[in-house]
Amino acid sequence: MNKAKLRTTLTPYLFLAVPVIIYMIWVIGPMFYSFYLSLTKWDGFSAPQFIGLANFRRLITDPVFYTSLWNNLEWIAVFMTIPIVMGLFIAMSLNRDIPGSKFFKACFFAPMVLSLVVSGLVWSWLYNPGSGLINTVLRQVGLGDLARGWLSEPEVVMEAVITVAVWRQVGYVMVLYLAGLQSIDRNLIDASHVDGANAVQRFFNVILPQLAPVTVVVIVISIIDSLRAFDLVSVMTRGGPFNSSSVLANYMYIQAFNNYRMGYGAAISVVLFMISAAFIVFYLTRIVREETNG
Amino acid sequence: MSRALRLFTPLLAVFVLLAVFVPNDLAAGGQGEAAAEGEEGSSIVIYNSYMSDPEPREFDAEVVEQFNEQNPDAEIVHSTVAHEDFKQAIRAYLTSSTPPDVMTWFAGNRARFFIDRGLIMDISDLWEEQGWNEDYPKGFQAMSTVDGNQYFLPTNYYWWAIYYNTEVFEEYDIEVPETWDELMDVAEELKSNGVTPFTVGTKYRWTAAAWFDYLNMRVNGPEFHIDLMLGKESYTDERVKTVFNDYWAPLIENDYFIEDPASYAWAEAIPFMNNGEAAMYLMGDFIRDSYPEEDVEKLDFFRFPIIDPDVPVGEDAPTDGYLMAADAQHAELGKELLAYFGSEEVQTKMAEDLGRLVTNNNVPDDVYNENQIKGRRLLDGADYVAQFYDRDTTPEMADAGMDGFMEFWSDPTPEKTDEVLQELEETRQRLFEEDEEE
Repeated sequence: MNKAKLRTTLTPYLFLAVPVIIYMIWVIGPMFYSFYLSLTKWDGFSAPQFIGLANFRRLITDPVFYTSLWNNLEWIAVFMTIPIVMGLFIAMSLNRDIPGSKFFKACFFAPMVLSLVVSGLVWSWLYNPGSGLINTVLRQVGLGDLARGWLSEPEVVMEAVITVAVWRQVGYVMVLYLAGLQSIDRNLIDASHVDGANAVQRFFNVILPQLAPVTVVVIVISIIDSLRAFDLVSVMTRGGPFNSSSVLANYMYIQAFNNYRMGYGAAISVVLFMISAAFIVFYLTRIVREETNG
Repeated sequence: MSRALRLFTPLLAVFVLLAVFVPNDLAAGGQGEAAAEGEEGSSIVIYNSYMSDPEPREFDAEVVEQFNEQNPDAEIVHSTVAHEDFKQAIRAYLTSSTPPDVMTWFAGNRARFFIDRGLIMDISDLWEEQGWNEDYPKGFQAMSTVDGNQYFLPTNYYWWAIYYNTEVFEEYDIEVPETWDELMDVAEELKSNGVTPFTVGTKYRWTAAAWFDYLNMRVNGPEFHIDLMLGKESYTDERVKTVFNDYWAPLIENDYFIEDPASYAWAEAIPFMNNGEAAMYLMGDFIRDSYPEEDVEKLDFFRFPIIDPDVPVGEDAPTDGYLMAADAQHAELGKELLAYFGSEEVQTKMAEDLGRLVTNNNVPDDVYNENQIKGRRLLDGADYVAQFYDRDTTPEMADAGMDGFMEFWSDPTPEKTDEVLQELEETRQRLFEEDEEE
C-alpha cells in the first residue's frame, strides 16, 4: 500500500474519530452506565449499592409499570394508524395544483413548528372542563352530556393526550408523503390510465407500492416518537390522575428525579431502551440492506 | 461549491448561535469563580433561593441588599429559581463540588433526607453564638436538631385552615362551623342554595393530601397520624379506613366538591370561590397571595372543625427556612448571612412584608396584623403541629400516597378504598423495611 493510498483510507477515519469520541463519551458511555445503575439502589447521593436484578423483579410486579407500558403501546397503535392514514390522505389531496394548496400545506404543518410544551399548554386550556373551548362548544351545540374533565378522568385522559400528539404528527407524515409523491414515476401513472385502471386501483396498485420506502420511514418514526413520548404527558397531566396517563419515559422521570430512586428509574429506562432497540435494529438492517443492494 | 456551501450554512448558523448564547453562560459562571478565587473565597457567598413569587422575591432581594450594605466588601451571588424547579435542582446543588453556600428549604422530612446523607452543614456553633437556643421556641429547635446538632434555621411558618367567602356566608346567613356536624349542615345549606360547598384543585395532588391530613388528625389524633407518616402504623388499619369511608367518601359522594377538581391546579380553583359558585377552600395562608387583590377582604378562615372532642387537636403548619451545604466553600460568610436571616431585624421585616408568622421570640407581637394574630391563635390552640403530608413522610411514600388519594377520589367506594389502602400498605412496607435494612 503506497503512502497516498494509505492517506485516503486513513483520512476519513481521522475525521470520524472526533464525532465518535464525543458520541462515546456523551451517548454510549452514559447508556452503559444506566445499565449498571439499573442493577443498583441509588438515591443520587450515596454510593450506588449493587442489588442485582431486584429492580427488575419489582418492575414486573409494579402495576404502574404495566399502565405505562400499555399506554406506550396504545400510543404506538394510534400513531401507526390515524396519522399515517390522514397524513397520506392529505398529502394525496394537496399534491396537485389546486388553489390554496400551499396555504393548506402550511396549516397542516404548523403544529409541527410549535414546541411540544407549547402545544401541551394550549391544549390544556382547550380541555379545561369549565371554561375550555371544547366543553363550551359541546354545551352550546346541545351536546353538554359529552362535556367532561378531559384531563382528569382516567377513562379518557390518555386519548385526550394522544389526540394532541396526533394533531401534530399528521402534518409531519403529510410532509414526508408529499416528498415521497414527488419521486413517483409519472410514466407508470400514465400507463395505468391507458390500461383503464380506476382511481382506487391506481392508488393501491401503482402509487402505494412506490411509496413503500417512505412508508417504512414513517412507520419507524411513528414508533420511535411514540416510545419517547414524554413532553406532552409531563406538561398536560404529569402522568395523572393517579398514573392513568403515565408513559414509560414519564414514569422513569418521576421515579428517578422526584422519588430519588435512580436505580429503579434506570431499570425502567433499560426496558424502554430494549423496546426501542428492537425497532431501531430492524430499521437499520433494512437501510443497510437497501444501501448495499441499491 | 454550492453543495459545500449548503452543508456549511447550517454549521455556520450553529456557530453563530453558540457565539451569541454560550459566552453569556460561561461568562456568568466564570465571573463567580474568578471572583471567588481572586478574593480567596473570603468575601463571597453564594445564595440560592426558591422565593420566586413576586412578593417573596422582592423581600428576598431587599434583604440581600441590606446585608450587602452592612458588609460592603461581601459579594453575594444570589440566584432565584422557580419553586418547583428548585425542589428538583437542590439535589444537584448539594452534590456538586462547589455547592451554593446558603439555600432556602423546608423543615421536616424534606430536610432530614439530606441531613441523614451528610449533605448539610452542622450549624450548632451558629445557634450557640446567635443565642437562638434561647430566642427560638422549643418546637422549632427540635425541628432543626438531629442527634443533638442543629442543621436548619427555621424562620417562618403559616397555618392551614378552611378559607371561605364571607359574602356567601352572609348571603345565606351562615355561621362559622366549629364541629363536623355543623360543617355538614353548612355544606347542605349551601348545596340547597346552588352553591358548591368546597372548591379544590387537585391537579398536583397535594391539595387532596391536606384533606387526608386533617381528617386523619381530627378522627384519629395527631399521634396516630405522625406514626403513620413515619411508617410505624399501617395504611390498612381500621382507623385509616374510617377516615376514607365515613368522612372523606361522603363529602365526594354528596357533591360537596366542585366538578373535575383534578383538572385544576390549586390556584385555578380559586375563581369558583371568588365568584360565589363555591364557598370554602381548605388551604394554607398563602392563598391570600393568589387571591384577587380587590376581593381579599372578603376572605376569612376558620379552624378545621373538631370531629372528636376527645382527640388532641393537630394542625398543619409547614415551616420554611434556610440551610447550608456541608461542602460550602464560603462557610464563614455563609454563616454571617444565615445569622442575618435569623435576626430580629429580618424576621420583623418578613412578618410585615409577607404576612407570615416568624420564629424568633424577640420579634414584637405588634408587627402582626389582625389576620396573622388570628392565625397564630389558631396554632396556639393546637396540641400538636405537623408539617404537611409530603413533608412529614418520605418522598416516595408521599408520591404513592397522593396517587392513592386521587384514585380514591375518582371512585370513593369501600371496595376501591380497600384496594387503594392495600397498595399503599405494600408500598409502606417495602419502603420502610428497606430503610431499616440500611
